[in-house]
Amino acid sequence: MSKFLLGRYINGDSLVHQMDARAKLALSIYFIAIIFLANNWATYGLLLILVLACVLLSKIKLGFFLRGVAAMIWLIIFTVLLQVFFTTGGHVYWHWGILNLTQVGLVRGAYVFCRFVLIIFMSTLLTLTTSPLEISDGLESLMKPLKYLKVPVYEIALMLSIALRFVPTLLDETQKIMNAQRSRGVNFGEGKLLDQIKAVIPLLIPLFVSAINRAEDLATAMEARGYRGGEGRTKYRQQVWQLKDSLALVVFGLVTVGLIFLRTW
Amino acid sequence: MAITFTGLNYIYQANTPFEYHALKDINLTIPDDSYTAIIGHTGSGKSTLLQHLNGLLKPTSGSLEVNGQLITPQTKNKQLGALRKQVGFVFQFPEAQLFEETVLKDIAFGPQNFGKSQAEALEIAKQMAQLVNLPASLWEKSPFELSGGQMRRVAIAGILAMTPKTLILDEPTAGLDPKGRLEMMEMFYRLHQEEKLNIILVTHNMDDVANYADNVVVLEGGQVLKTGSPQEVFAEPAWLKKHHLGLPKTTAFAQKLVERGFKLDKLPLKEKQLAEKLVALIGGTDHE
Repeated sequence: MSKFLLGRYINGDSLVHQMDARAKLALSIYFIAIIFLANNWATYGLLLILVLACVLLSKIKLGFFLRGVAAMIWLIIFTVLLQVFFTTGGHVYWHWGILNLTQVGLVRGAYVFCRFVLIIFMSTLLTLTTSPLEISDGLESLMKPLKYLKVPVYEIALMLSIALRFVPTLLDETQKIMNAQRSRGVNFGEGKLLDQIKAVIPLLIPLFVSAINRAEDLATAMEARGYRGGEGRTKYRQQVWQLKDSLALVVFGLVTVGLIFLRTW
Repeated sequence: MAITFTGLNYIYQANTPFEYHALKDINLTIPDDSYTAIIGHTGSGKSTLLQHLNGLLKPTSGSLEVNGQLITPQTKNKQLGALRKQVGFVFQFPEAQLFEETVLKDIAFGPQNFGKSQAEALEIAKQMAQLVNLPASLWEKSPFELSGGQMRRVAIAGILAMTPKTLILDEPTAGLDPKGRLEMMEMFYRLHQEEKLNIILVTHNMDDVANYADNVVVLEGGQVLKTGSPQEVFAEPAWLKKHHLGLPKTTAFAQKLVERGFKLDKLPLKEKQLAEKLVALIGGTDHE
């Protein structure tokens, strides 16, 4: 579990770290949308420059992002291979049954690869530079308009922030129970499939029980401290929209214009 | 067959920015049939050290030998099965490990994993339930219906049921009431005396160290600071204070007496020793 980098936050003081979580969240989602505008090398080049600039600004080592990609590498390879071998069109280099290696296929495969890498870089950047609490605060205020559609935005945000807060705690708990059961002679991840599934029971049951106990304790503690639901609460962590956030929006807007221009060019 | 650490290092998440050097060049021998207490500040590496003893963690470098089995960074998990049977590990708040339908089945889980038949294992489970003072009326209940203290007993019985040669206790009495604490500690001590069980205890309670242990290891910042008998370790209150460790209540009280002019040749650890010394002192003045 120690290699698990997804959703990890690295404390820092770079320009990207200081940005408002709402801006970062919105821009990450927006980035995933505009990546579908890219359809030739020039457009991918522009997006690559944008992503690399963001990475540089975050002052985080490139190795982290590469590790994020490495975690997904099998999914990427699988998708790329599907594209490469099942796309027809253009010059045919190789042909066997339903498998084709064509010029269009190779290019498409390369595009899919770029798309994956860029999206992973951008989402890794979001989680590496934004603490989970900031993300849940950001999501809450981005979801505010949904209130008018009777979506319980506050409750969702509360659940999200509690869930995020307890991920590391539950991971620790899992590790602890796993160790305890190992000491009692359970071998996790060894033997036949059926044995492996059976070995999970002594881990899962205590974990569920402890999660339920924890939830009960937490609910009691919250009520004892005067929690009565979302209505009429004030906020301790204030989110501040700064000039750099607006500037980031402008940059992304310009990139979008550039993309549309390069697309048809 | 003692436990020997040789130049052992352990690094958490090596080669990442989250790297943490938890144990630094540990050289340590824990003799057989001893009751060893490991003390040290929170984060001094006690738990990391313990997890090496039954192969839950393997050294990053260096090695250790437990009951004749050598564990090096290259040791495979498969080679550790026998070791886990020999070294029982009672984790902090062990009641979190209960999962079976009934108390007896849960206690029998360990022995069954190490090859006992179901009937044999249940027989052992009954013995162990008696040993930890669980009334027979609870044996067929679900472990989740029990009180916290009873759950703790079930969990400990589940470890003892594997009949280990070495028993590791990581704060076994944390969160228990005084009566439960005393019962539990006395039971471990009895096992140590009668069954020659080698006990390794991690605790913050210096009274337990003074009352039961015959060997003390002091850890700080992932290094062994001192080893010796409780008498040796608790002999210098100033040194302990410097390293943020406490004294047993009896010793602390005796030290106050010394400061007020009482003459004690060495600081007593147990209440009985102190009482005897005080009686001797009073007796001494009587003869004058």
